Amino acid sequence: MKQIMKMVLVLTVLGLVSGLVLSLVSNYATPIINENNREAIKEAIFYVLPKTEDYEVKTIEGKDIYVTRDSEGQVNGYAFTASGSGYQGTIELMVGVNSNLEEIQGIQVLDSSETPGLGGKIRGGNFKNQFRGEDASGGVSLVKSAPTEPGEIEAITGATISSKAVVDIINKGLDQVQEIMGSGE
Amino acid sequence: MLKDFVKGIWRENPVFVQVLGMCPTLAVTTSLINGLSMGLATTFVLIASGLAISSLRKVIPDQVRIASFMIIIASFVTVVKLLFEAHIPTISTQLGPYLPLIVTNCIILGRQEAFASKEPVSRSLMDALGMGLGFAFALVVLGSVRELFYQGTIADVEILGSWYKSMIIMVQPAGAFISLSILVALFKKLSSRG
Amino acid sequence: MELFFIFVAIVLTQNFVLHYFLGICPFLGVSDEMEAAFGMGIATTFVMTLTAIITWNINTFILEGFGVQFLEYVSFILVIASLVQLVEMFLKKYVPELYKTLGIYLPLITTNCAVMGLALFMVLRDYNFVQSAIFGFGAGVGFTLALIIMAGIRSELMEEAIPEPFRGTGITLLTAGLLALAFMGFSGLVPV
Repeated sequence: MKQIMKMVLVLTVLGLVSGLVLSLVSNYATPIINENNREAIKEAIFYVLPKTEDYEVKTIEGKDIYVTRDSEGQVNGYAFTASGSGYQGTIELMVGVNSNLEEIQGIQVLDSSETPGLGGKIRGGNFKNQFRGEDASGGVSLVKSAPTEPGEIEAITGATISSKAVVDIINKGLDQVQEIMGSGE
Repeated sequence: MLKDFVKGIWRENPVFVQVLGMCPTLAVTTSLINGLSMGLATTFVLIASGLAISSLRKVIPDQVRIASFMIIIASFVTVVKLLFEAHIPTISTQLGPYLPLIVTNCIILGRQEAFASKEPVSRSLMDALGMGLGFAFALVVLGSVRELFYQGTIADVEILGSWYKSMIIMVQPAGAFISLSILVALFKKLSSRG
Repeated sequence: MELFFIFVAIVLTQNFVLHYFLGICPFLGVSDEMEAAFGMGIATTFVMTLTAIITWNINTFILEGFGVQFLEYVSFILVIASLVQLVEMFLKKYVPELYKTLGIYLPLITTNCAVMGLALFMVLRDYNFVQSAIFGFGAGVGFTLALIIMAGIRSELMEEAIPEPFRGTGITLLTAGLLALAFMGFSGLVPV
């Protein structure tokens, strides 16, 4: 009996001490972690909409839309996150569009686990910069050679599936945002 | 005392000789910096839980030994994870779920069972330090080799020059197994001679 | 269909052992004999399925419910450790034949990082209850598959004249590398 009491006592004390220490550390770390995440979002927004000076978050129909303003305080575009399946796992993107939602201003990869050296190249400037200023009124489409029409994006050699995934994610996100922004105004 | 420290680095190296802690060894060593951060994080958890368990060794009843060790280890891992996420978020993202998986790294529970739960604090400290650094050493070697053959760099410094065509397989699972296999064999050859 | 994709992905394209390097210790340790490999695989699959079901509930209702996510690792590892103990006691008492075959592998499962990894991945991927259960079961099946294939290859290798430094761990890791390469052929099979 005494033995069992001791076992229970030791485990309880250990559990309590552990819980206490962890809640202290968590209280200290959580604000910094949240700040880091905000910072990452902010950086991505400034990357996809380069002329941005300031932005605010608007939640419409459960979707966070970042409304960005340029140095004169004019709305210069909207940024939103979109995600979907890639080749190896989920790809999460930040997409920036101009204020009439018809032209992509830029994209940034927030998260992806695509194969390094192949699909991983969606993080590279060569691929991402293709989207800057691309006409998106009818969505973007993927081609395997140098693009000739507006709205065409050249796939990464050896990583067609990853490139296609990015294009699909953008189109889906764009559709959703065009719909909710359209109905909201 | 010194012997407790040195054995972990060479003669009883946890990775090359004891073949323990394979999951993080293979998973995060795509570059030197990743291997090093994982090695140091593991060393910290080893030392901290070694100290805690060694000083509590007379209090903890034998029957709930493992459960108690697990609580202590998992708590220190949570501390490491939170601090990494707060102060070095890029590395925390790179290591992903393998950082919390330090909890189940067999090296840690193994050392508590074999050493810290029986020996005084000072010796446990040396043992944990030796094993931890031995683990970190192995991860750094493997990380450097894989990074070098993947893109010709070590710690992002160009070593092989621009003629080198990158070998994608080195950062994929197959490359991890094959490089470790060759290193283990090499280590066996070297230590059997010495 | 989506559930089927989760299952196929975790068994073949993102096999826990050959893609995520989870559960390597038992993979290297008990893959030298077919019977042992099979026993370990079944025992692990059993524990993994239960772990998925229980940790999902703990995570959703307790950790997220009370906003104490910082206790995630401590509670998960305690669940796994006690689950293994419970399964062991249950089998010993009610299914002694099965216990005789699986008994020696059960304690090893606590430190099998595949089980802990499973719980962490589930949370990271925001799986719902059914998805988690399928994921846990699939992860176990994938683990068993890798273990059995490895055991088959290793029993053939015993007869071969392997260079001294590669004997034991070296050749096993090399074989695992080639297996991982073969499993890469499955990638892209299902959307993940």
